[in-house]
Amino acid sequence: MNKNSPHRIKNVILKEWRNTFFNLNSAAVIIFLPLLITLQALFVIYVVIMFASADSLNSTLLQNGLNLLQSSIPSLSSLSTIDQFQVLFYSQFPIYILLIPVLISIMFATFSIIEEKQYGALEPLLATPVRTWELLLGKATAGAVPALIMTWICALVFLIGVNWIGSPDILSYVLSPAWWISLLLFVPLVTILSFMLGVIASSRTKDPKSAQNMGIIIIIPVLLLIGMQVSGFIALNTFNMMIMAIIIAILNLIILKAAVYLFQRESIVVKWK
Amino acid sequence: MSFIIESSKLTKKFPERVAVRSLSLNVKKGELLGLLGPNGAGKTTTLRMLSGIISPTSGSAQVAGYDIENEVEDLHEVIGLLTETPGFYESLSAWENLEFFANFYADLDVDYQIEKYLKIMGLWNRRDEKVSVFSKGMKQKLALARSLIHEPEILFFDEPTAGLDPRASREIRDLLMKLKKEGRTIFLCTHNLEEAETLADRIALINTDLIALDTTSNLKSQIFKKMVIVDLESVNNHILDTVEKLKFVVNVKQKDNQLQIELIDFDQNTPDLIKALVESDGRIKGVSKAKHSMEDIYLALIKSDEGEEI
Repeated sequence: MNKNSPHRIKNVILKEWRNTFFNLNSAAVIIFLPLLITLQALFVIYVVIMFASADSLNSTLLQNGLNLLQSSIPSLSSLSTIDQFQVLFYSQFPIYILLIPVLISIMFATFSIIEEKQYGALEPLLATPVRTWELLLGKATAGAVPALIMTWICALVFLIGVNWIGSPDILSYVLSPAWWISLLLFVPLVTILSFMLGVIASSRTKDPKSAQNMGIIIIIPVLLLIGMQVSGFIALNTFNMMIMAIIIAILNLIILKAAVYLFQRESIVVKWK
Repeated sequence: MSFIIESSKLTKKFPERVAVRSLSLNVKKGELLGLLGPNGAGKTTTLRMLSGIISPTSGSAQVAGYDIENEVEDLHEVIGLLTETPGFYESLSAWENLEFFANFYADLDVDYQIEKYLKIMGLWNRRDEKVSVFSKGMKQKLALARSLIHEPEILFFDEPTAGLDPRASREIRDLLMKLKKEGRTIFLCTHNLEEAETLADRIALINTDLIALDTTSNLKSQIFKKMVIVDLESVNNHILDTVEKLKFVVNVKQKDNQLQIELIDFDQNTPDLIKALVESDGRIKGVSKAKHSMEDIYLALIKSDEGEEI
């Protein structure tokens, strides 16, 4: 890094934000989609709790999930069965919330890179003194900052919602260490992973839609995790989440290497079609 | 003599083909070099290598004293690149686009430079409009402004007038002349032979390999030798025999009543040729030196490279 690097990275970030947030469609998607995802989660849980009885929930696969959660939090059994199910449902949010950084990062990566490909702006850009890593870091930061901020805002909205619509006293059970691990470790890691996958997808496709379709594959493991936890196949306790964080960090390093390789000047100019 | 661009055996191989092979050429400071060649000849690849965007497979080059592989950041401070497609962020205005690119250069008075070049290009009144509403000619002028914004001493231009209407092409060519007069070194890739002939100090013709590198007049005399055109009232066998038997005549071609005669030395042999024609009862209507266009040179060199007889 030389003395001009911070200025150049800032220049890339500001351009990306100007380009994205001056576009009403993109701005609306980045702001309203995460809120919609959050409110939808609250609404679905609220409806299930309101209209399903403890007996009907007990007779499903969810009982396995509840048993596993009870083994992680023994004091949970002091709550009523329906409140225990509430805690089980609300506890999925730390994983479910990962959909937000995934969607925003992939959108940013594909939008910013495909646009440059479509208009041929990358080649003149590469003829300036900007280094490739400065460009990639600027773009990644431009996508990561709104992704992180929106995710944390949505987490706050969710907790306010739990406090408002949930039974009294369950907030302390919901706000487990898994929450903090997810918000402070998982979300940044998944943001980087999603951005890199977006870069890779963008280098291989010609339009943002195709790139987003390719990048969106990352949503599948997130949904799988939720399903596995609810049905009791896996307990996302502190230990398991730390293990997963390490796996995602290693995965990030591998994907980062691929993304940086694809983001070499020569690859961009010669191979990106 | 000091050269501002020096390349030595520059080669670029892609998995499927060799784009440029062993290209050695030098460009003097303040010179405008026209790079010509058929499609796929390696012109853009050469330009990309010399401007430090892609690395050569082998060989080396120095531009403004900077190595094109190891000193790319410094190199990019002193060169300006005009790519074949203008390449702008269409949702940003002309000013915002130039501001973004200008901000990458160190110690630049960005606002002053943007205003200067938008005015030169006649785009000052359109500065706040989005680039998406610009015509192709306007985008090309804006791209030129972008390539000049940091006052580079060396300019790499790839097809600057391609696809433009005659008026816009003229404006761009006039600007190139102005830049040349300012003493900037210009490396111009073009398909437009007239443009190359008018603007370039020297021409480099490539077709993967470097075929020729010289001034237009030297290339003409090298390729077309010393050719004289003689128009006669009529040509008969006696006249043809007389001319063919002259020792200084290399070749004779007849086209109706015109003879195209290749001489060993135009200035020295022409009077003797006229004398011989008059003595063989030839009635001469006119004598002229053969004229060849840039297109003739280009086609002759390409044919020669492909093994055809000129």
